[in-house]
Parts: sequence; C-alpha cells; structure tokens
Amino acid sequence: MLLTKVTEMWCYLLKNYGVWLGICILLFSIILFIGSLDYQLYGQYGPGPGLYPALLSGVLILISMLYIIDCLRKGNKITFSSVFPKGKVLARLSTIVASIIIFIFIAPFVGYIVSGVIVMLMLLLPDFKWYTSIGVSFTVTMILFVVFDTILGIPLPANIWGW
Amino acid sequence: MDAFSLLMSGFETALSWDNLLFCLIGVSVGMLVGILPGLGPSAGTALLIPMTFGMDPISAIVMLAGIFYGSMYGGTITTVLVNVPGEAASVITSMDGYPMAKQGRAGVALGLSAIGSFIGGVVAIIGVTLVAPQLVQFALSFGPPEFFALIVFGMTMVVGLAGKSIIRGMIAVLIGLILAVFGMAPSSGVVRFSFGITHLIDGFNFVTIAMGLFGLSEILLGLEQQLKKPEKPPVVKGLLPNRKEWRPSGMSIGRGTFLGFFMGLIPGTSSVVPALLSYSLEKRIAKDPSRFGKGAVEGVAGPETANNAFTGGALIPLFLLGIPSSATMAVLLGAFILHGLQPGPTLFVRHPDFVWAVIASMFIGNLLLLFMNLPMAKIWAKVASVPFKLLFPIIIAISIVGTYSISNSLWDVGGLLFFGLLGYLFKKAEIPVAPIALMFILGVMMEESLLQTLTLYKGDFWLIFTRPIAGTLLGLSFIAITISIIAGIKNKKDNLEDAEV
Repeated sequence: MLLTKVTEMWCYLLKNYGVWLGICILLFSIILFIGSLDYQLYGQYGPGPGLYPALLSGVLILISMLYIIDCLRKGNKITFSSVFPKGKVLARLSTIVASIIIFIFIAPFVGYIVSGVIVMLMLLLPDFKWYTSIGVSFTVTMILFVVFDTILGIPLPANIWGW
Repeated sequence: MDAFSLLMSGFETALSWDNLLFCLIGVSVGMLVGILPGLGPSAGTALLIPMTFGMDPISAIVMLAGIFYGSMYGGTITTVLVNVPGEAASVITSMDGYPMAKQGRAGVALGLSAIGSFIGGVVAIIGVTLVAPQLVQFALSFGPPEFFALIVFGMTMVVGLAGKSIIRGMIAVLIGLILAVFGMAPSSGVVRFSFGITHLIDGFNFVTIAMGLFGLSEILLGLEQQLKKPEKPPVVKGLLPNRKEWRPSGMSIGRGTFLGFFMGLIPGTSSVVPALLSYSLEKRIAKDPSRFGKGAVEGVAGPETANNAFTGGALIPLFLLGIPSSATMAVLLGAFILHGLQPGPTLFVRHPDFVWAVIASMFIGNLLLLFMNLPMAKIWAKVASVPFKLLFPIIIAISIVGTYSISNSLWDVGGLLFFGLLGYLFKKAEIPVAPIALMFILGVMMEESLLQTLTLYKGDFWLIFTRPIAGTLLGLSFIAITISIIAGIKNKKDNLEDAEV
C-alpha cells in the first residue's frame, strides 16, 4: 500500500514540469548563495561584494521552494506532455537549436558566409524546394555580410580566404 | 534656454537629412516588426542595436526609438486584418478591431487606430516637453536611498502585473537581478562568479539576454503555432468612421491619451496595462456595453491611443531617472549605455542636445507613421501575409550576426541560444520573461544605491524611512505587494469555487 502510494507520488513528480524547473532554480540559487559567501559580506568600511548576491540568492531559495510547493498543488500541475511539442514541431525546434550550435563550432574555420548559408539551409529545406532554399540562404547571408562586414565595418568570422 | 527654444534646437538636429533618414528607417522597421509575427518591439529594438554601433548616439537612439513606437502602429494592422497581434498590447485591439474587419470595416478600424495613435503619441510628447524640464530639479535631489526605493517600487509593480502569480513574477525579477551580479562588483571592483571563464569577467551582455529572451524564445514558441497557412487579409477601404461615430471616437481618444500618458510615468507597467485599462473604462462608461467585442469603435480608438500615449509618457522616467517603464524601454536604456549616455537627471543637464533631438524626432516619427499608415494600409496588409516559415530563418540569421557583432565573439551567440532556451522553458511554465530583462538593466543601479544607502546609514537600513520620498515609495511598494498577494489569494479562491460549481 505504502509502496504504491510512494510510486504514485514519484510518477506525479516525474511528470510535473513545474517541479523540475523549480528544482533547477533552487539548485542555481543554492550554488550562488554558497558562492557569494566566498566574498566579503560586510567589511570595516561598509557592505562587501558578497552581501547583495547573498541577499538575492537567499530570497530566491525561499521563492523557488514556494514555487515548487505551488506546482505540487492539484490545479497548478504542468505536465511535460501538455506543454512540449512532439513529432514534426519538436524536430523543427531541435533543428533551430542544432543550427546555432553548428554555427558556433564551424564559423571560426569555414567563415561566416559558408556557416551562415548552412544555418539558413537547415532551417529552410524542410519547407521549401532545394533551389528556393539555396537562393534565399545565399541572398540573405550575402546581404547580412555586406551590411555588417562591409558597410558597418564589423568583422564577421572569417576562413583562411577572409570570408 | 527655455523648453521651447531647446525643443526648436532639437527639431533642427532631428530634421537634418541623416537623422530624418534614420527616423524613417526606424519607423519603417518598427512597422515591419509590429506586423510580422515572431518579433515583438523588444526583440526588434534589441536586434538592431548592433547595427548602431558605428553611429552617432543621436542618430542611433532616433532610429531605435522609431522602431519602438513604429511597432506599436504596426502591431495593429495584423491584429485588425487577420487577428494575429504582432505585439502584446494589440491583443486588446483585436477584441473589437477584428470583428470590425469581419463586418467589412477594416479600413475604419485601421484609420481610427492610426489617428488615435498619432494624437496619443503627439500629446504625450507635448506632455514630456512641458513636464520633464519642471521635474529635472526634483529628480536632481534624488540620492541613493530615493533611487533604491524607486527601483523597489518599480519592482513591485512588475511583480504585481507580471501575470499568473506573484511567485512567478518574483522568480523572474530575482533572476534578472542575479544575472546582473555576474562580473565586476560596482563598488569594490571584485570579479564575482566568473568560474574561471574570461568572458564572464564583464558579466552578461544585455543585448544577448534581450535577443534570446524576446527574439529566439518567441520564434521557438511561434513555430509551434504559426506553421499553418496565414489567413488572407480582407480588403481595406474607407479609412474614416461615419459622422455618428466621430464624437464617441474622439472622446475615447482623449481619455486614452491621458490614461496612457500617466501610466507611462509609473515604472514597471507595460503598454498592455494602459490598453487594457482604457478598454475596460470605455466599456464601463458606454451606454450600451454589449456592443463591445462585436466591433465597437471606442474599443479600438481608446486602447490604441493609450498604447501610444504610454510610449511618450514612459520617456519621463527613462530620461529623468534612468528607470525603464517596460521591457522595450529597458532595451532602449541598454542602447543609451552602449552609446556612452547615462540616463538620469544629469542627462538633461549634460546632453540637452541629445534629449531634445530625440523628443523632436518622435514628433516627426509620429507624423511619418500617420502618412505611412493611412494611405499605405493596403500595402502593409500584404506584408502581413508573408509566411512565418520564411520569416523565422531570416530572423535567426540576423540574430546570430547581431549577437556576434556585440563583441566579435561566438560566446555571445552561445548566450543567445542559452537565453533563448531559458525564455522558452520559462514561458512554458508561465514565468514572465520581460521582468528578467527589466531587472537585469536595473540590477547594477539597485546594488549601487543599496550599498551607498547602507554605507550612508552605517548599516542601519531602517533609517531610509527618515527620507520622505524614499520612505513613501517603500511604503507604497509594501501596499502594492500586499494588494497583489490578497488579489492572488482571492483569485485562487474564486477559481476553486468555480471549479467546485
């Protein structure tokens, strides 16, 4: 009986997105609170650099605990399945995240133009024909390159040929 | 020099060819930002900040401010025509604007919004011209305790108006303040929480945070809803209301102007609040409230005017105290700081040329928007039908280049992704993200003023209540938060009773 109750409660917790988010915020605030104790809280001449972050993270610890309790209440439960997408939309969201990560890793080697076109292609290909995707990707990337690099003089990531 | 002469000299600067061009670019981009889904005014303004790095501060702020109020006008077009609010404040307009479009009166709704927005915007700017110089002396008397109390007051307003619950609002506010403590401590210069990462020595960059929270996260959320084909916009004809509607529309515009302007003066409110208040006021005083929601002209004229008058009024706390009234104002404040201008009472004294040129450019920008809105409504309606699936890759490409150009570092692009995901995860849990950006920008000022206050009173914080302004503001903050808590508990109780029924 007790085991079933515990299992039920555990399942309820596992599926509750709000509780997990609250736990992450709580851990973040605890780490910051402990970290802020490394700095001086109050010195001979007044408050030190640790006081303000310690105050803020201390309050956040309390508020995140209240948030977790709030999420455990019946009407406030947010399940992962009710808020996060599935299937095609999830794949598209993952593509956006992946495209930015790929940009960060390849841009220093292949330069802005190549990495910019790759990012745009990853985002456009699922919805448009390949030639439209290539055309739009190349045009947008070149316009941005000219505006930022040439007109505004902001150097963008470059390959060995300088683009 | 008196305010009028200063304003005239501001017009001289604002009417120079380059500033006029930047104003035109700003309002046009703002219109696009407002019309196109996936970008709000905050993200639109943040997105263009990197483009202003090489510009003169006046031209830069003229352009960025243009995006801000341009997006207010633009947001209305998609709201009325296809019931897709381009920015949050337009949601209220959709309640009567869209039914009007369904009745074949889209032109009247757009015409009324443009005229209302113009009157609201211009009267608010006249208000700023008249009121701001009188308040400079008052603002100059503010010391650290007053600034601290004012930020706390703004914070309580943000928490109270943040959305679903006070707890969620508090989390957002505290995270915004905590993000600001990374990097160098204000008084001692000690580097905090860098974890051995060189990039963190300077802390987080505001533009990265704003672009992630408002731009990327909106795209991620928008993708879930907007991959479907956009609705075809109706035909726009006849931009003016009939004779019978002139008087009620005019009265709503008048009320909306004053409401919006005064709401703009309160730190922590957003443009949604005056729009919502104006709508409820119009409905409450109407002879036949049942017309609302079915295409009442007052339901469009009032909120749209309040929305734009708010933009003007919000300039006062921004220019005089360095306190932004909304997330977009926080982005503008970030731009001020990036261009070496410190908003606050001394801004009026040290850089009157800048302040008055920006105010004058707003008169011009509002006029440009009126001309761009009324005769060109049909063209803007066509822009509204650009599919989201084509738009979002372009917005992401601009966001990547924009964040990279902040410090020529891919670290900031990583930051864009991090804050984009953070915003997405928070919004899924109904935690508002606007307070994060707002409080991040106020974080350093809040810490400085708190530490100076504590030093001043030798650690006895309660002596702050001996200062009349600071004490009153802290008292008001306490009242505001208490009311919010009581209202929150009452709402929960009502919800429970509803559920039981």
